[in-house]
Amino acid sequence: MTATLWDTTGGDVVKALVAERRAGGAVSAGLAVTLVVVVDEKNVGKAEQAAMVASQQHPCRLIIVIRRQVDSADRLDAEVQVGGRLGPIEAVVMRMYGRLSLHAESVVLPLLAPDAPVVTWWHGPPPDELAADPLAVLADRRVTDTSLAEDPIAALHQRVADFAPGDTDLAWTRITPWRSLLASAFDGLTATATQARVAAAAGNPSAILLSAWVSQRLGIESAVERSSGPGVTEVEVLLKEEDVPGPDGTPGPGDGELRISRPDGRLATLSRTGQPERQLPLLRRELGDLLAEEVRRLDVDEVYGEVLTAATGVTGLAERSARRTLVWRDPAAAAAAAG
Amino acid sequence: MTVELPSPNPLRDPRDRRLPRVPGPCALVVFGVTGDLARKKLIPAIYDLGNRGLLPPGFVLLGFARRDWGDGDFEQLARRSAQEHSRTEFREDVWQRLADSLRFVPGSFDDDNAFDELNQTLVELEDTNGIAGNAAFYLSIPPAAFPVVLKQLQRTGMADGSFRGGWRRVVVEKPFGHDLASSRELNQLVDSVFTPQDVFRIDHYLGKETVQNLLALRFANTLFEPVWNSNYVDSIQITMAEDVGIEGRAVFYDQTGAARDVLQNHLLQLLALTAMEEPVSFDAEALRIEKRKVLGAITLPEDLAAFTVRGQYDPGWLAGQRVAGYHDEKDITADSTTETYAAVRLGVETRRWAGIPFYLRTGKRLPRRVTEIAILFKRAPHLPFAKTDTTELGNNQLVVRVQPDEGITLRFGSKVPGSMMEVREVSMDFLYGAAFTESSPEAYERLLLDVLIGDRTLFPDHNEVEASWRVIDPMEEFWAGTQPHKYRAGEWGPRAADEMLAREGRSWRRP
Repeated sequence: MTATLWDTTGGDVVKALVAERRAGGAVSAGLAVTLVVVVDEKNVGKAEQAAMVASQQHPCRLIIVIRRQVDSADRLDAEVQVGGRLGPIEAVVMRMYGRLSLHAESVVLPLLAPDAPVVTWWHGPPPDELAADPLAVLADRRVTDTSLAEDPIAALHQRVADFAPGDTDLAWTRITPWRSLLASAFDGLTATATQARVAAAAGNPSAILLSAWVSQRLGIESAVERSSGPGVTEVEVLLKEEDVPGPDGTPGPGDGELRISRPDGRLATLSRTGQPERQLPLLRRELGDLLAEEVRRLDVDEVYGEVLTAATGVTGLAERSARRTLVWRDPAAAAAAAG
Repeated sequence: MTVELPSPNPLRDPRDRRLPRVPGPCALVVFGVTGDLARKKLIPAIYDLGNRGLLPPGFVLLGFARRDWGDGDFEQLARRSAQEHSRTEFREDVWQRLADSLRFVPGSFDDDNAFDELNQTLVELEDTNGIAGNAAFYLSIPPAAFPVVLKQLQRTGMADGSFRGGWRRVVVEKPFGHDLASSRELNQLVDSVFTPQDVFRIDHYLGKETVQNLLALRFANTLFEPVWNSNYVDSIQITMAEDVGIEGRAVFYDQTGAARDVLQNHLLQLLALTAMEEPVSFDAEALRIEKRKVLGAITLPEDLAAFTVRGQYDPGWLAGQRVAGYHDEKDITADSTTETYAAVRLGVETRRWAGIPFYLRTGKRLPRRVTEIAILFKRAPHLPFAKTDTTELGNNQLVVRVQPDEGITLRFGSKVPGSMMEVREVSMDFLYGAAFTESSPEAYERLLLDVLIGDRTLFPDHNEVEASWRVIDPMEEFWAGTQPHKYRAGEWGPRAADEMLAREGRSWRRP
C-alpha cells in the first residue's frame, strides 16, 4: 500500500500512484478535491495529522510538498500511499531539493485529480506574495495561517494587500465558533448594540477579524484589548433598548451588556444583564478541524473579504481577479543581488 | 395562531456559510424519557448536537416518566446513555453544561398534579433561561397513551405557547395508527391540540444522508432525469431487509406485522421520493405537494393474490448461527399469522410511470441488513452483437444504497478484455469514504435539529400518512385470515415472492 521512491522523477511518481490505486481497490471512488500542503520538514507530522482528519470528512487526494534547500543538487524523493498510514485516502508526500523546489508545479500538476478543485494550504508563515508560488497559482482555494508568522498582525495586513478572492486564512476559520455563539446570543434579541470590545492575547489576528466582523455587522465601534490569552478570551457588546427609553435617561430594561468570556480556552460563560449566566463549551479547535472547515466549501468566502475591508479599510477586494498569474522570483538571483 | 417573527439578527447573513443553523432558545420535553428510544437515540443525539455547538445557549431538556426519581437520577441515566451511544467523543465539560439544563418530573400520564408540576417547571425554566415560550414535546410513548398525554397538554395550556410569543411543537414517532381510520383519529387529535404545521412526524429514514442525496441526484443533475421515466425504466425494486428478528418487541410486532411496521412508512416514503415530480422549490410545502401527488397515484394490483406476498420465518441458520423461528420467539403464540416479510407490486398512475411496476419488499431474518432503491432500465431495443456475445448482459441498473455502505452504484455492460467480443456487467461505485459515513450526522440529530429550528421538509404530514394507509388497508384486508408463506431464516424470503416476479419475467436483485 506504500511505495517509497528515492531520487525519482515526476513520471515515476504518477506511475506509482496508478499502481497503488489498482492494488488498493476502490479506495478513492469519492474523490472530490485535491489538497496540496506546503510545509517544511519540522512540521510535516502536524500537517499530515491535520490533513488526515480533514480528508476523513472530505474524500480527497493529498499532496504534501516539502521544499528543501535550493542550493543543492536537484532531487525528488516521494512516498506514495493508498489506504496507508494516512488513512483511507490517496496521499503523495514529496521532498524536493535544489532548483526543483522552485518548480514544484511540474511534479504536482500531473498528480492533481482530474477536474476536481484544488486547495493549497501553507502550514507555516504565509508567503508575502502568493502569486510567486506556482502552487498558489494552480489552486482554486488558498489557505494561509497568519498566526504562524513572526509578526501575525503585519502578516494579516500583507494578506489583505496581496488578497485575491479565493484566499482565506485560518485566523478567520478559528473564530467560527465564537461567531456562531455570538449569533445565537443575538437570536431573538430586541435591543440594539452600541459598542463592542474584544479581548485577546497580544498579536492575535483572529481578534482583529472578530472585532471587525462585529463592528461591520452591527454597525458600531469595536475595539481590541490585550489579555493574557489563550487566543481570544472575551467579547463584550453594550446594548440599548430603543423602544423603552428610561425616564430621565436612566437605563431602560433592555439596556445592559452581553458578554462571552473564555479564559481557559475550553469553557465559555455567557452573561447578559438581567439573565443568569450560562456556561457553554467553546473549545479551541485542532488544526485538522480547521482544515476540514476550509475544505467543506470551495466557493469564494465573500463575508471574509468584507471583514478584511472592515479590518483594514482596504476596499475593492471582491473586484480583484480570482485568477493569479505567476510572478517569477528567483531566490538565487535575489541573494546574488543582495550579496 | 400567529407567530411573531423575531427581529432579524444582524449577525446572520445567508452568504455566511460557516455559521451553522442553530435554533433559538427553547425547551425539549420528552415523555417516556426512560424508554429505549430515548436512551439509545434521543439523549445521545442531543449530546451530539451540544458537542457540535448546535444547541442554543438557552436550551433545557425536561424529562417526564413514571419513576420515583429526582433530577440527579435522571442526570445519571442521561449521562450513561450519552456515554454509551453518542456518535461524537464524550467530553466531560460539554456534558456538564448540558447536565445543568436537565430536569426531571415524575408522574403517570393520568396524574393531573404531575402535569401541573410539569407546566410549572417549564414556565420556571423558560423564565430563567430566557426562553420566550418555545417548547417541543417529544412523545416517545406507546400510541395508546397519546390521547391522555395530549389532553393533559391541552388542559394545562402547555400546548399553546402563543401567549408568551413562542412556538409549541409536538414530535410523534411511528406507528401513526394501524389503519386509515385509526390514523385519521390520531391525526385529528394531535392536529386539534396543536396546529397541523406544529406536528412533526418522525420517519428516521428521511433523516439519512443518502435519502436526501436522492433528491440532489435527481434534481441537481441533468444526467439522470431524462431517463427517469417509463420510456427507459423497466421496473423499480425497493428493499429493506433486516437480519435481526423481532428483538423484544414481540407484543407490538405481533399486532403489527411487516407491512404496517415498515412498508406503510419507510418504503412508501422512499417510493414517493423516487417517483415524485420535481418540486418547484426545495421548501417543505413544495416537497409535500409532490409527495402527496405520488402517494395518491399509487395503485394496488388487481390480482392481490398473485402480486402481494406475505411470509413468516421458520428456524434456520443466519450468519453462522442457528436462530429460532417466529413461532418460537418469546411471547409469540404458535398460531400467530403475523407476517415478518411482505412484498408487493405497486403501480404509479402518472404519465411518467404508467405501466412500470414498483416492487417493494421488507423482511426480518433475511441474510443481511440492507436498504436500497434499484432502478432497472430497459434493455437496448437492438443489440448489434451476436446473441452469444451478450448472454451475461442484464438490465442497466442505478442503485441508491441507503444503508449500510451509503452510496450509489451504476451497473452497465462492458467488454470483457480479450480477443473475443463478449459483454458482461460491471459496477461503478460511488461511496463516501468509510470514515466519512461514520461522521455524517445520525438521522435523529438532523431531525431533532430540524424540529427545534422548525424546518418541516423531512417530516411527512397527515395527508401523506393517510395516503399511505389507503395503500396498505386493502392489502391487510385481503390478507386477513390467510396463512403467511414460510421461509427459512437466512434466505431471501419465501419462494412465492420469487414466483411473483418470475410471473412477469423478472427476478429480485440480490442486494
